[in-house]
Amino acid sequence: MTAMPNPEPEDLNLLDDDTFRLVVRRWVEANYPPEIRNPPKRLHWAENKVWYMKLAEKGWLCPAWPREYGGMGLSASKQLIMIEEFERHGCARTNDHGIVMVGPLLIAHGTEEQKKFFLPKILSGEHIWCQGYSEPNAGSDLAALRTEAVEDGDHYVVNGQKIWTTLAQDANWIFCLVRTDKAAKKQEGISFLLIPMDTPGITTRPIITIDLHDEFCETFFDNVRVPKWNRVGDVNKGWTMAKALLGFERIFIGAPKLSSYALGRLKLVAERMGVWDDPEFREKYTRLRLDLADLRVLHATFVEQVRRGETLGPDVSMLKIWQTELFQRITDLSVEIAGENGALLEPMEGNRELHPSGLFLQARPSTIYGGSNEIQRNIVAKNVLGLP
Amino acid sequence: MSAAEERDESLRMIRDSAAAVAPRGGDLKRIRDLRFTEPGFDRAVWQQMAEMGWVGLRLSEDAGGSGLGMAALCALAEELGQGLVPEPLIPVAMAARLLPSDRLGPVLAGERIVLPAWQEQPNSLETVGATALSGGRLSGRKVFVPMAAGADAFLVTVPGGLALVERGAPGVSVATEQTQDGGHFGTITFDNAPAEALPSDALPCDAAEALDEAALATSAYLLGAMDRAFAMTLEYLKTRQQFGRLIGSFQALQHRAVDLQIQVALTRASVEAAAATLDAGASPALRQAVVSRAKARASEAAMTVTKQAIQLHGGIGYTDAYDVGLFLRKAMVLGSLFGPAALHRARFDAVSPEDEEE
Repeated sequence: MTAMPNPEPEDLNLLDDDTFRLVVRRWVEANYPPEIRNPPKRLHWAENKVWYMKLAEKGWLCPAWPREYGGMGLSASKQLIMIEEFERHGCARTNDHGIVMVGPLLIAHGTEEQKKFFLPKILSGEHIWCQGYSEPNAGSDLAALRTEAVEDGDHYVVNGQKIWTTLAQDANWIFCLVRTDKAAKKQEGISFLLIPMDTPGITTRPIITIDLHDEFCETFFDNVRVPKWNRVGDVNKGWTMAKALLGFERIFIGAPKLSSYALGRLKLVAERMGVWDDPEFREKYTRLRLDLADLRVLHATFVEQVRRGETLGPDVSMLKIWQTELFQRITDLSVEIAGENGALLEPMEGNRELHPSGLFLQARPSTIYGGSNEIQRNIVAKNVLGLP
Repeated sequence: MSAAEERDESLRMIRDSAAAVAPRGGDLKRIRDLRFTEPGFDRAVWQQMAEMGWVGLRLSEDAGGSGLGMAALCALAEELGQGLVPEPLIPVAMAARLLPSDRLGPVLAGERIVLPAWQEQPNSLETVGATALSGGRLSGRKVFVPMAAGADAFLVTVPGGLALVERGAPGVSVATEQTQDGGHFGTITFDNAPAEALPSDALPCDAAEALDEAALATSAYLLGAMDRAFAMTLEYLKTRQQFGRLIGSFQALQHRAVDLQIQVALTRASVEAAAATLDAGASPALRQAVVSRAKARASEAAMTVTKQAIQLHGGIGYTDAYDVGLFLRKAMVLGSLFGPAALHRARFDAVSPEDEEE
C-alpha cells in the first residue's frame, strides 16, 4: 500500500506515479458530485459547472499548462494518470475547450497582454469557450473553410457560418479559424481569431442530433466586428498553429474507454435477454472482447510513447479507427440481441444501463468526428505506409 | 542504461543475429528448394542455429541456456517468420523447456533433434490422451508432429509426465503427410516401444506451460510472416502501374492496406504484451488468457493479411513462382498448429474473467 503524502507537495511532479495516482483518486472520490457520475450524454455548463469550479478551486483545472500561468505543469505521464483516474470514477467532461485548446494556443502564440487577459478568466470559469472550425462546406476538408475576416481599420469584419460548434449555447467566447487571404493556397490564408459570443451579428442555434441531443450547434457571423487585438499569432498562420495544437490528446479518441463501457452494457443486455449462455452469442461476444483486449495493449504502446516524452506519429490514427469501429460493432450486437427492445426510445424497464438503442445511436458519430475514419485511413496510407 | 534500454538492446542483438539464417528481405531460394523434401529442413543450418544458442534461448543459464525470456524467443521467431525458416526451432525449444538438464546437452548443441509429440486429436490443446507408458513401454498414437521425419527422438506426453523415445526404437513408426507450406506432419504410432519415463515432478516445467510458450512463439513467427507479406504488397502497390497510375494511389486499395496494417499492429501489440506478461511470471489462467489472445489474433490476422496480399498483387500473386503465395501457405499451416483461432478464442472465454479488465 502506497502511503499518502502529508502534506501534499505543491509540485505534484515530485510524487512518484503510484502515489500521485492515489492522491488523485482519493481527492476525486471525496469531491466529485455524485449526481453527475457516468452521465449518458455530454453535460451542459449548468450541469457540470460545479465540477469545473471544484477543479478550479483545487488548482487542478489545467494539468498541462505551465505553473507560471496557473496550470499544474504536470508531466505527460501524470496527465495521463489524472485522466485515467477521472475516467475510472466516471467523471463528466467539462466545457473544456478553453483549457485544452485556447490556453495552450495562447501560451504558445499569444501576446503577453492576451495571456494576462484570457488565461485567468479560463481558470476562474468566467470565460467558457467553444470551437469554430468546421463549416457546412469544410468538414473533412477543413482547410477549405470560407468564413471570411476582412480588415477594416483596427478591426476585422467577419462573415460566414461555423458548424458543430460544440456547446456553443453555453459559451461566451469562440475561437475561430477564418480566411484572411482568399488568393493564397488554401492552408496559407487562414488566421486565428478570438471572438466574444455577445458581439452584435453572432447568432447560434442548436442542432438536434439523431439521438435527440443538443450538444452541437451552428453559429452565424453577420458583419461581426472583431478588434485586431483578438487575433492570435501572425496573419495567415492559423492553420499551422491549429495543427500544432494536436498533441498527444489524439490518443484519447482511440482509448478503450468507450468500447469497454459498451461491452459491459452488452453483457447486461445479453443476460436480460437470456442469450448470455447461447453459444452463437458467446462466439460473437468473445470476438469483441478480444478485439477490445488487443486494443488495450495497442493503446498501451502509444501511452508508453507519451510517457517517454516522445511525439506521437501519424500511426496513432490506427487507434481511432479500430476503437470507434469496435464501439459500433459492440452496439450493433446489443441492438441485434435486444430484438424489439432494441427499438425502444427509452431504456428498457426504466433501467438506464439497459438502453441498447441509445448507445447504438451514440456510437454513430464516433467514426465521423475528430477526422472521419476515411480521412484517418488516408492519413495512415500516405504518412505511415508511404502510398502515393 | 536503464533496464528497459538493456532489454531493447538485447532484443535488437537477437534480431541482428537472426540475419545469419534469415536476412531481412533476403531471397527465399533455400526455402523453395527445401519444400516437399524430407526432412524438409537443413541439418547444417540447424546446427548453426543451435550454435547461436537459439534452442536454449528461453532456458536458464544453469540449464545451459541463455537465460532470456519469451520476449527474446518471440523476437527471434518473428525474424524466422520473416524468412519462412523451416527448421523446427519452436517445437525443439518446447522440448528443451521440458527435458531434465542431464538430457539437454546434445539437444542444445544441435546434435540431437527431440520433437514434442503431445497431440492426439485435431483442434485440441489437450496434452494428455490415450497414449500411455507402462513398465517402460509406450503405446498409443500422436498426431500433427511438425517435421517428424527429421526427429532423432520424441518427447511424448503421457499421464503423469513424459516419455522419451528414440525415433529408431522398435515399435515406433512415423507416417508423414505433406503440408501446404512444403513441410509435413507426422503421425507417430507407438506399439509397446521402449521409452524412458520422465515423471512430471522431475520436470523443469509442465507440458501445458511449454505448449503455451510454443503457441506464443508461433504467433510471433506468424507476425513476422504477415509483416513481410504486407511489406511486399506495399512495395507492389508503389511500383505497379495500371490505367497510367500507380495502383497504390487508388483509395480503395489504400484503405484496404490500412486495415491490414491495423491487423499487423494489433498482432504485434498482442504478442509483445503476452511475452511481457509471461516474462513477469503469470498465473496459469493469466498465461492461458494472454497466449490465447495473441494466438487467436495472429492466426486470423496472418490469414487475412496473406489472402489480401495475393488479392492486391492480382494474377501474379496466384503463381507459385512469386513469393507472396509462400506466406499464405505458411499461414495456413501455422495458423492451425498449436491451436487454431477459434479454439483459442473459446479458451480465452473460458479462462479469462471479465472483471480483471476494468
